[in-house]
Amino acid sequence: MTTITVLGDEVATTAGEWADGSPLVEPDALSAAVGWTLKPEGLCRGDQCVLVGDGSAIRVGDKLDLAAVANAVDQPTVVDPDAGFVVLGQPNATRRAALQDRQAPDFTLADLDGTSHSLSDYAGKKRLLVAFSSW
Amino acid sequence: MVIAVAIDESIDEVRVLADGITYPVLMDPDHLLTEMYAISNVPAVIWIDEQGRIARPNANEFGSDMFSEFTGRTCEGHFNQVRAWVHEGVVPDDADSQIADLDDDEVAARLHFRLAAHLRRAGDEEGAARHFDAAAELAPLDFTVVRAAMPLRGESPFGEEFFKLLEEYQAAGSPFHGINPAS
Repeated sequence: MTTITVLGDEVATTAGEWADGSPLVEPDALSAAVGWTLKPEGLCRGDQCVLVGDGSAIRVGDKLDLAAVANAVDQPTVVDPDAGFVVLGQPNATRRAALQDRQAPDFTLADLDGTSHSLSDYAGKKRLLVAFSSW
Repeated sequence: MVIAVAIDESIDEVRVLADGITYPVLMDPDHLLTEMYAISNVPAVIWIDEQGRIARPNANEFGSDMFSEFTGRTCEGHFNQVRAWVHEGVVPDDADSQIADLDDDEVAARLHFRLAAHLRRAGDEEGAARHFDAAAELAPLDFTVVRAAMPLRGESPFGEEFFKLLEEYQAAGSPFHGINPAS
């Protein structure tokens, strides 16, 4: 056993193992790692569930493949077995909703003093979202 | 209201730019916004209405005329468009523009960048370099991937590497995820 660090909405480190480049965890570690829980009805988060059939696509022996789980819920991943990392991207549906349906995805980021702000904190106002940088 | 988001690692550099600004200035060192909103260069301005609907998608608009000699566009036109939207609810014709989605490589490039930045913060320069390279290979003309990495790799974002990127970008027809009024 080794540790797997998932860079997702949070940074989560969990016990697991790498098998042929795949990050494997015990089923009861899944929720803390990626925010999804395996239930009889499928992979669930909040009131949302994604069907996974007999689960063979996400299971390796008695363990779950984090990258396959992410794929099943349409979240992109990049893995680095040597460094022990899984990067878990935002659901692709979030970006599609922004581009096609014009729904502005909510986000929470800290200001220069460390105070968190969400886009939704300012709902009810017209907002000019300006992405800039020093580079 | 304005919400500014710095696609940036350096809070000190951003602090200088944000001096005297009273609206929220947020830090996005993991480039969450470039993934969620398909942003490929800055500045990118997105208009969001009271209901959270995008009224005008990513557009390359500047807050000053500092670069207008370079871009061939002044900021006054955009300011007038914003005023018309705020006061009269009128949006310009280009507000209906459909922004191209990121392809799988461009998404993966963002994740490699995120891991590189994380490894760099943890002191793993070699691991960081490996993932900055992987990111640049997947999205070689994306400024939020390639140019943003320059200061994190000890290169100048205004130096030789930048002009090389700019040349390749322009030779490829300036592929920008958004409305590019200057092009």
